Amino acid sequence: MELLLQFLSNTGYYLADYRHVIMILIGCVFIYLAAAKQYEPLLLVPIGFGILVGNVPFFKGFGLGIYEDNSVLHYLYFGVTTGLYPSIVFLGLGAMTDFSSLLARPKLMLLGAAAQMGIFFTLLSALALGFLPREAASIAIIGGADGPTSIFLTAKLAPHLIGPIAIAAYSYMALIPVIQPPIMRLLTSREERLIRMPEPKREITKTELVIFPIVGVLLCCFLAPASIPLLGMFFFGNFMKESGVVDRLAKTASSAIIDTATILLGLTVGASTQGDVFLTGKSIGIFFLGAVAFSIATASGVIFAKIMNLFMKEKINPLLGASGVSAVPGSAREVHLMGQKEDPGNFLLMHAMACNSSGVIGSAICAGILWSFMLAGG
Amino acid sequence: VVYGLQAISNANGWSMAFAGALIVFSGLVVLSFVISQLHKIVTLWENRGRPADSPAPEPARSETEPAAAETVFVPQSWPTEPREEALLYAPLLADLGGTVQLADLYQACRRHDFPHPHLSINRLREAGYLVDAGDGKVDWVAGGN
Repeated sequence: MELLLQFLSNTGYYLADYRHVIMILIGCVFIYLAAAKQYEPLLLVPIGFGILVGNVPFFKGFGLGIYEDNSVLHYLYFGVTTGLYPSIVFLGLGAMTDFSSLLARPKLMLLGAAAQMGIFFTLLSALALGFLPREAASIAIIGGADGPTSIFLTAKLAPHLIGPIAIAAYSYMALIPVIQPPIMRLLTSREERLIRMPEPKREITKTELVIFPIVGVLLCCFLAPASIPLLGMFFFGNFMKESGVVDRLAKTASSAIIDTATILLGLTVGASTQGDVFLTGKSIGIFFLGAVAFSIATASGVIFAKIMNLFMKEKINPLLGASGVSAVPGSAREVHLMGQKEDPGNFLLMHAMACNSSGVIGSAICAGILWSFMLAGG
Repeated sequence: VVYGLQAISNANGWSMAFAGALIVFSGLVVLSFVISQLHKIVTLWENRGRPADSPAPEPARSETEPAAAETVFVPQSWPTEPREEALLYAPLLADLGGTVQLADLYQACRRHDFPHPHLSINRLREAGYLVDAGDGKVDWVAGGN
């Protein structure tokens, strides 16, 4: 009888408190959004299930939890805390990215730069709310709308915040269809949304596509060497794809490798949200600032496109500014859908993808810059 | 814990935000400028050693060029008027059959060295010569809309 009672006192049912219940409900919401609403299922399924796994109450000291040495989850989490998974995800992203639309209209790259302003605004906001500089920088990068980049920088600067920051970043990426359209509508007139983007005037040659990753990695990584783990892998993946001589490697990078990294990244980030660690005042602050960062990033891209239109003969559809955030391809899809809602014959997707891929580069550079600033500041 | 503007100043936040924004912007401006010039550098490189007035070499044609090449005509100066473009596209579409995958049409255009096929296909779609048939396919309508 005593053995049975002892066993029962070690079960999750006995050890559970309200924080576990709240987190399990959040995990269920993620899984529901992914499975029923198809909101970013590739991210939300592993994260949502990870939240369930991470919030099963257990007896501390058995080497079971993600924060306990020698637990399996702890070893898998190593890829997050060292920045390994984000780098591998970037390798796969590079192998999947087609830069031809960006090369055909290089000026769209400026929209990818403008959308990064949300990061720096949020940096100031987080500092003003009392976060330490390293924490503020990690929170600010949510404005880049890039999950792996957010996790990478947070792992380097504020590892104790990985859970809330990753969940905030991925939540807002999944909520793009909810967050971005009202901002886009608010900041643009119907006439602006109707602007059709002309087709590129020239074909992009194979040689340009092959040279671009080499030029890109040299220019960006010389400027912000701290972004090497992300951009080095990103452009390497793209070079493998475009060179055409290592098709087998490029295909593996863009399928098996990125999928494996995404599964482990999502699951362990989800599992890192143990109720007692996750449900704090700081997490609420991070979620609030994340929403601000994402909204300002969207708005600054749209506003910058409108400013560019003041000086350009060939007008840009300002909706494209919203795809300057690096949530690939969610934000490009939203821009395209909004353009089509106004004019079914308006195809913005290709142009939006150019801004999107520029946003990926921009947010990785920002991560490198912020990391360098924090290292310089001690 | 210090809050507000004082906290920003203490952490050197203003300089970090300003310098960070400036660096990322200038970095992407430089990258954008370089890639906008990339095709010129590539052309210069590919034309090295060739006298300025000599014409560019004809691209090598594949041995397995489809038979339609004989009926498809590519003029020196490509028209931008959809009606005239439709005349040039008609033999190609006839060879491919009435309903064709957009990707196959694009590939066929590339095989026959049609210049900027995506532009032409877009114009032909807008003019009603190519009509969506679903599943990535298009129908050829000889007279357009």
